[in-house]
Amino acid sequence: MIICQNICKEYKHGSRRKQVLTDVNLIVHPGERIALLGRNGAGKSTLIKLIGGVEMPTSGKIRHHMSVSWPLGFAGGFQGSLTGYDNARFIARIYERNYSDIRAFVEDFTELGTQLRMPVKTYSSGMRARLAFALSLAIEFDCYLIDEIILVGDQNFHRKCHYELFEKRADRALILASHATDLVRNVCDRAVIIHKGQATTFDDVNIAVDTYSAL
Amino acid sequence: MANNSFRNLYDAWDVQVRVIHALVIRELTTRFGRENIGFLWIMVEPLLFAGLVGLLWRLTRGPEEHGISIIAFVATGYIPITLFRHGVQRSVIVFTTNNSLLYHRQIKIVDFILSRCIIEVLGCMMAYLFMGLVLVAVGEFPVPSDIGLFIAGWTLYALFCFSICIVIAPLSEMSEVMEKFIPVTTYVMIPFSGAFTMASWLTPGMRQYLLFSPFVNGMEMMRKGLWGDQVTAYYDIWNPLICSSILIIIGLILCRRVRRTLAVE
Repeated sequence: MIICQNICKEYKHGSRRKQVLTDVNLIVHPGERIALLGRNGAGKSTLIKLIGGVEMPTSGKIRHHMSVSWPLGFAGGFQGSLTGYDNARFIARIYERNYSDIRAFVEDFTELGTQLRMPVKTYSSGMRARLAFALSLAIEFDCYLIDEIILVGDQNFHRKCHYELFEKRADRALILASHATDLVRNVCDRAVIIHKGQATTFDDVNIAVDTYSAL
Repeated sequence: MANNSFRNLYDAWDVQVRVIHALVIRELTTRFGRENIGFLWIMVEPLLFAGLVGLLWRLTRGPEEHGISIIAFVATGYIPITLFRHGVQRSVIVFTTNNSLLYHRQIKIVDFILSRCIIEVLGCMMAYLFMGLVLVAVGEFPVPSDIGLFIAGWTLYALFCFSICIVIAPLSEMSEVMEKFIPVTTYVMIPFSGAFTMASWLTPGMRQYLLFSPFVNGMEMMRKGLWGDQVTAYYDIWNPLICSSILIIIGLILCRRVRRTLAVE
């Protein structure tokens, strides 16, 4: 279970301040799939970063009672100057996993072949997405945080994700920030709309998607 | 209950060791790569500095000063000061440059500083050992008379360097002005580092002030450990210990404050 209590997040730059999230409350139960909806800049990524522990809330508390992946997104998690293999080795070390198992899974899932010997900064966003998903699936978290990046993959990647994440790991929780309303309708159990710093939870995903589309 | 908290402490230690190990290897591969001599490059710069400056002093000032070999004296001064200068340079805005690593929750910002300091200390120790062996072989370097005292001095010196880094790293994130003053400060620091003088060469009045510097205390211990009865050393182990502890506490508080507002891309 993940419990977010009265989370506020404010960014300061010089004398300017921007309040991104105001008093957000959210509870994620094991196995629940939650969609985060909102317009660009609404604070979806910020909320995912706060839940993932990448940034700290200005006030409020986040408690984890299950293992949570790092936010899988366009930035972060990898060292661009290192190769795909070196990044896998680093992640295997810090999460205390057997490198040869991880390596085998990554080679099979990403299908990147010799590209894995190239620095990650030379990867396209689709390739990054493959690597990030492969590594976090190999580590086996209870909850996956996905920030948009699932959309950049090709058909083959979508099929693989669907099988590995939504079928084989159907018991895992998921927080998905996305603009892909079809995916959200098909996959998620609940939805949260973030608008003007406030978060509203919808138990019916279809109503949430309709509300979001009208924003 | 007590057993449980002991278990937690053990697990936390386990994570800490794993993270530092992974960060050190990562840093070595990004900085030096796997080409030619690889990570052995870390000892090249301190060696070149110590060797060339030592040679320069040897040519301009003659073979000995105050009864000890000038090459050995300069080299023993220069290697610790490279540790300090590199440590400080590497700590400036270290959190921002490594922020993609903060995606993994087990990595804390203090680990960045710790892993970089460990690398610098290891590099300088390797350089020291290598240079010592070569110079002993050609008769320009004393066989250490008290290796324990030498290692104790080195440890205190390294600890003080770390405590400065842990303060500079968060300060450099808070203010950009800081970054601009660092090169000149590390340069002005040289006379107070004990690198090129021993306290016993000074007048008692001057000596008293010089010994306020934790660096000088560490350096005197190292030199006493190397030359033994050939030199007179003045030192107090409590000075570097107390100064480092105070700075580390300040540094940890600053790190905690900076982490709260750190924006990660």
